[in-house]
Amino acid sequence: MSEAAAAGNEAAGGGEVPAGTGLRIESASVRYPGRREPALIDCSAVVGHGEVVGVAGPTNAGKSTLPLLAAGFIPRVVRAKVGGAVLVDGTSVVGTRASAVAGRVGIVFATPANQLSASKLTVREELAFGLENLGLPRAEMDPRIDQLLARLRIEHLADREPFSLSGGEQQRVAIASIVAMGTGVLVLDEPTAQLDPAGTREIAVLLGELARSGTAILCAEHDPIVLGGTVRCLLLDGGRLVIEDLPGAALGSAVLAARGLATPTLVRLAEAAGLPPALVFDEAAITVALRRGRATAANAATGATPTSPSPPGTGLTAAEWRPAADRPGPAVSIEGLVHRYPNGIEAVRGVDLSIRAGESVAIIGQNGSGKTTLIKHFNGLLRPTGGRVLLDGVDIAARPVNQLAATVGFVFQNPDDQLFERSVERELAFGPRNLRLGQAVATRNINAALAATGLTADRATNPYDLNVSARKLVALGGVLAMDPSLLVLDEPTAGQDDRGIARIGAILAALAGAGRTIVAITHDMEFAARTFGRIIVMRGGRVIADGPPQQIFAASGADLLASAGLEPPPAARIGARLGMDPVPLDADELLSRLS
Amino acid sequence: MAAASGYYRPGASWLHRRNPVTKLLALLLVVVAAFLLPPISLPVLLALLVVLAATCGLAGAVARTLRIPALLLISILLVNAFFFPGATNRIAGVGPFWITSEGLAFGLNAAGRLIVAFVASVLFLQTTLADDLLETLISRGVSYRISFVVLAAVQMVPRLQERAGSILEAQQARGLAISGSFRVRLRALVPLIGPVLLGSLIDVRERTFALEARGFGALPGRTAYRRVADPPLDRVLRPLLLLAMLGVVAVALFGLPRF
Amino acid sequence: MNVDWLQICAEGQTDGCIASIQLAYLGILVVGAVLLLIIALRSRDLSTATLALMPVAIAINIAIGSIIYALRLPIYLDSVGTVLVGALAGPWAGALTGLLSNLIWSLLPIPGGAGPTSAFFAPVAAVIGLMAGFWAGRGVFRLRTDDSRVGQFLALAAGVGAAGLALIIVQNTIGLPELFPDNADQTNTNQATFVLIGIGIALIGVVVAWLSGRTVFRFEPEDPRIQSYLSGATAIAAFILVFAILRLLFSPSGYFSTVTGVNADGTPDGFLGGANLSGLALSDPAGLFGVGVVALIVAAGAFIWARRGDNARFFPVWVGGFTTGLVAAAISAPIAAGVFGGVTGGGTDALVAIFRTLGLNVFQSAFAQGLTSDPLDKTISYTVVFAILLAMPMTVRTMFSRGDSTIAD
Repeated sequence: MSEAAAAGNEAAGGGEVPAGTGLRIESASVRYPGRREPALIDCSAVVGHGEVVGVAGPTNAGKSTLPLLAAGFIPRVVRAKVGGAVLVDGTSVVGTRASAVAGRVGIVFATPANQLSASKLTVREELAFGLENLGLPRAEMDPRIDQLLARLRIEHLADREPFSLSGGEQQRVAIASIVAMGTGVLVLDEPTAQLDPAGTREIAVLLGELARSGTAILCAEHDPIVLGGTVRCLLLDGGRLVIEDLPGAALGSAVLAARGLATPTLVRLAEAAGLPPALVFDEAAITVALRRGRATAANAATGATPTSPSPPGTGLTAAEWRPAADRPGPAVSIEGLVHRYPNGIEAVRGVDLSIRAGESVAIIGQNGSGKTTLIKHFNGLLRPTGGRVLLDGVDIAARPVNQLAATVGFVFQNPDDQLFERSVERELAFGPRNLRLGQAVATRNINAALAATGLTADRATNPYDLNVSARKLVALGGVLAMDPSLLVLDEPTAGQDDRGIARIGAILAALAGAGRTIVAITHDMEFAARTFGRIIVMRGGRVIADGPPQQIFAASGADLLASAGLEPPPAARIGARLGMDPVPLDADELLSRLS
Repeated sequence: MAAASGYYRPGASWLHRRNPVTKLLALLLVVVAAFLLPPISLPVLLALLVVLAATCGLAGAVARTLRIPALLLISILLVNAFFFPGATNRIAGVGPFWITSEGLAFGLNAAGRLIVAFVASVLFLQTTLADDLLETLISRGVSYRISFVVLAAVQMVPRLQERAGSILEAQQARGLAISGSFRVRLRALVPLIGPVLLGSLIDVRERTFALEARGFGALPGRTAYRRVADPPLDRVLRPLLLLAMLGVVAVALFGLPRF
Repeated sequence: MNVDWLQICAEGQTDGCIASIQLAYLGILVVGAVLLLIIALRSRDLSTATLALMPVAIAINIAIGSIIYALRLPIYLDSVGTVLVGALAGPWAGALTGLLSNLIWSLLPIPGGAGPTSAFFAPVAAVIGLMAGFWAGRGVFRLRTDDSRVGQFLALAAGVGAAGLALIIVQNTIGLPELFPDNADQTNTNQATFVLIGIGIALIGVVVAWLSGRTVFRFEPEDPRIQSYLSGATAIAAFILVFAILRLLFSPSGYFSTVTGVNADGTPDGFLGGANLSGLALSDPAGLFGVGVVALIVAAGAFIWARRGDNARFFPVWVGGFTTGLVAAAISAPIAAGVFGGVTGGGTDALVAIFRTLGLNVFQSAFAQGLTSDPLDKTISYTVVFAILLAMPMTVRTMFSRGDSTIAD
């Protein structure tokens, strides 16, 4: 056992972390019933105590199956055929009873609210839930819980009702309730998918702390911030382990570009600067190296980047789908908007905004800054408590939501709130039918939407048989089929892999090219920088900054962004450190300006 | 119960401090008495309950809840008063509709029993947290897994209603009309109920995982974190209540003892 | 068989005996206690997936039930979750779900279902869950029109049909004996004969079912006859249903013949302001013929509909729902009668009023109301569950022990 793990065991205190060999996965393969392709083929991995190992890859690569397998859920809870061995501290967790797994390995998923037991009134009791199940004597529970609350810095939440917490807080409680059981191995499946940037950073920090106190952690993720903090990273593609190496190497362009996947910006910059893989996520080192002028055209990584409008594999080119250009988007005007919820909370406290016809705007800000409340006024879902909302100069206060739907298309964050038909095609037909667009127009729109979202081959599939990122595209397609002139999107890229993000970017570009107005909320700063010509920053129900990306992400605006819980995209951060003005918005721009 | 749902009102009254099982026994006693004893016992029981509620400061709260069974009670009275079969003794009437004394008596009896049972239940629920009740039942042998189902279901109901609200918004944003003719409202049912059902059922998968990850049901001996008070007074009260219940049953079967 | 020791009340007798309704209560109590015991034992084996599903199912019961209540329709639709659990996790899990749903609903100030009185109907809900599990196990949700198990199902239906036919023949020839005759000496003989006839009819049903299952309804998979047989069964069921209802209403001694505006003792009847509807009681043979023709037309329509595509799949689902509704009505009637004089405060009370004026006593009118709305309600519930099972992704379904077998892909 490594020294780090031994030291970690000393520091563990109250959740006894057992000494052991950690997590060992040996030549594991998994095949779900009824699927042609196996989900995992001959994968092996070792996670020792004190290590954080990442798992990256596109969706459907087995990224969700590996955590389930490691946590001993397959085949006991999830039916599948399993080959190979999975051992937690020397004990097999495949085909064993639940008692063999309880308290040894725990797992955390992406949706915070689903991790709660939903049967406890306070966070404290929620943390005790696992302890109750383990049969821990009552006298030992309180000390453990107190220590845990302190360790994860959630003491202030101890007596709160679990469902009333924010997503990030719930996720911390979820992790805490697993750690409370003293599990030596922690497995996570996309824990930051639904969190804002601040929440993501906190989870990354938390994982590091847990590892230092001895836990063995396996984390499937897509976010470079989290993956950058891992000691090793596995890359899965098509169920196979492609590479296991330092994150800088596993996510390097040599590996990813060959598979048609996008390389994270920091990785590209680091490679261009000639840095070794170990330093790839170290922004200071990258800055220093670039400043010394080691970037050359030869070092600059080639291959697909998220900036290209038609990355290989998406099957969509700008030429394939063009929305009609004869429906220009409306100009949106917000005057002194105030919105107070019935419970007294004032989510929007006076916003004045003017969006020109055909403009593309991104709204960024922390959870709770009022972004979602604001955009829900655009199609009448919420009515102003004070102030007005005007579309093309006309106050929309009196028009009902379903009437405004003819003009304003709203894509919600959770696609499962909308899908109910038994095939993708019927789902896309729902909107046009409500709007009475007529059979011919509807069919044309539906086919166009299917092509745009890349779902033509799946038109007869039940949406709930697709994974969640595909379902988001179905929801988007449903709105596209209504051919809106103003498109409002709430977190369109959350949970999407790079291909999905590229596709959405291409769709928005095509719409903008046809003169439609677009407003989107996003947590993805890179996506915001490259897709939108104007960015609005919100904090505490007010707009605190408004301008083109170069201005918002400039060095001078860093403090303002920090006060809103945000950070500029990586290229802008490095560019600011290098003293560039205006800041570059992506790796290509930065590198081309250097050489 | 979660704050939003359920009857529970936080407090420190005499009733609040009693052990949940004691209160449960008392509730059963009142309900059994209401249904087994002759009708004259109903106003007596009701008066007792009102006094009890008043001493706990809950008289107003209990009275306010009476609007819930109001429709049912009125229905019982009216349907039985007007339409009691085999009744011949007419009291008053309007046009072709006549109230009969047999019907009225039956209706009053049925409604009276219900009011007593309802008021007793509400008083119980207002002074007892479901979590406390279930925890004490678990310590007496009720399966903790069933208790979990009950508590989770109670918390799930408002969540489902919230979810229905978001779905309502989402579908309206796709042009769905929800007001207007009956046909319009009927056609809105499927796009509204469908996602509610499917979405919550899909979540069941992850919720199962969450429970498994926390070792639910994995090991035989489950311990309890929540402590429920059991004052000495309750330990005396409970056998007394049981005896009283047996007494009521005996009186109902064999009549009052003749002296 | 001498049942004198039970001292069942004869017609009009009130003292020193047990009224038949009290027998019903006793029966429910005993059966209920046994069921409770079995449920408690079985609940120790419930999988985590089932335990995660049940709260959601209970919440679904309450959510849908309260919506329907707000719409003031004469149905409840508060058992969708119960049926779903029965289909996915088996009868005992379904029974537990129903039981807990009703208990929980009593404890929440949410209007709908039977409101605060829901707890009293918990036995009914438990039985609904049981039957749902039973029917799902028999494959009502799974039977595709190319599945050979349809044969078993049709054999079952044929057995029931034969038993029903036998009952009608007996009633119209030698007649069923009075259980409580005026001549008290004959009680034992009559009751014995009654039981014998009952056993005989049941035997006929069983024999017919067994025989037909081995011969007429023995299919190979993907036998094209299955579709036609199912469509035929649908048509026959439609015919019987429509014929029975119309005869009940329009026959010379049916419902409309009793609405004469005059009571049995000559006093004016209060119902509908003294209207005389007896003219609607059509005399035979013209009335019989007319009703028969209407029923035939409806049956033909049902046949054509059932032959289209996969529509015939609905027949077993509806049979399951309908029978569940009948049983639910039978059990809830004594409860409704005893606990609140047969009234539940929902949209169904108007029905109760109507039945009362027909001269049905409290118990009978509660039963009649249940009979009218419960089968419809449960049939709709089963259909909804069928749709849910079809739409549910396989990853969720396979978490349950019966997830694979309960519905075909």
